[in-house]
Amino acid sequence: MKTILAVDDSATMREMVAFVLESAGYRVIEAEDGAQGLDRATATPVDLVITDQNMPNMDGLTLVRSLRELRDYKSTPILLLTTESSDSMKQQGRAAGATGWLVKPFDPATLLEVVGKVLR
Amino acid sequence: MSAQQAGAESAHDAARATDLLVTVAASLNDRLAVTARELERSQDLLREASEELLTAFRGAADRIVAAQKSAPAADTGNADLEVVLSHLYRAVQHIQSHDLVNQLIDAQKLRVRKMREKFEQALALAEPPVANPAAPQFWLERSRAMLDCIVAGIAQIDDEARGPRSDRKHAGSVDLF
Repeated sequence: MKTILAVDDSATMREMVAFVLESAGYRVIEAEDGAQGLDRATATPVDLVITDQNMPNMDGLTLVRSLRELRDYKSTPILLLTTESSDSMKQQGRAAGATGWLVKPFDPATLLEVVGKVLR
Repeated sequence: MSAQQAGAESAHDAARATDLLVTVAASLNDRLAVTARELERSQDLLREASEELLTAFRGAADRIVAAQKSAPAADTGNADLEVVLSHLYRAVQHIQSHDLVNQLIDAQKLRVRKMREKFEQALALAEPPVANPAAPQFWLERSRAMLDCIVAGIAQIDDEARGPRSDRKHAGSVDLF
């Protein structure tokens, strides 16, 4: 079973992401900001990280950069799931090493399709 | 007109300008107090609706997760589960929207609070008794300080510390790099 780390400072958003992914058979662990996400990812290896951008303590782009510095996460897919939709932010995400960018509110079927694709 | 008379008139005009700034700051502050109350009320209503929606969602979600675990893959009941799941997926989108609006209201409340703080600072500057009411310079300095606070309050509108962008055009879009 693939394990996915869902990072978001909104408990409701984490619950929605977790429900959709678990309903499709994935195991989900949660973190409420980038700093906690980094701790969780280093404590438990995950197959995919889905993170929000705007969060306290550590934002999503900083989390992506921090994960990419770790040997275990050089090639692990990382998706940004955020309300930010500007080209400049997406560009920053790409430069940081993100695998993809999804704009909230997400469509569950689309999320599952993207997750399936990046985990293949 | 003697120099003394001219000085007294200037001081009088400057004092009136200060009074005008007090009126402006107080008026803006009062209106923002109404806005703050309305935001609070809207958020309460939204929170109530969201909690109801989430309770219903969790009830259905728990049951479908349990059913998924107990149903063999080839079970004919899976088609029914898929239908229920598709309804829950639609609910997921609505719940997200509730959550985003809630965050947006939080950001607006913060902005209103920051604006009010500045207007209240401006009003506080008008409080201390005047040491030398006949000196126009005193009033000018007070007016300038008040005006700075009012401008700083209005500038909070452009503050970058915003909530989630409500971008319907791009909602749900995907870019894979």
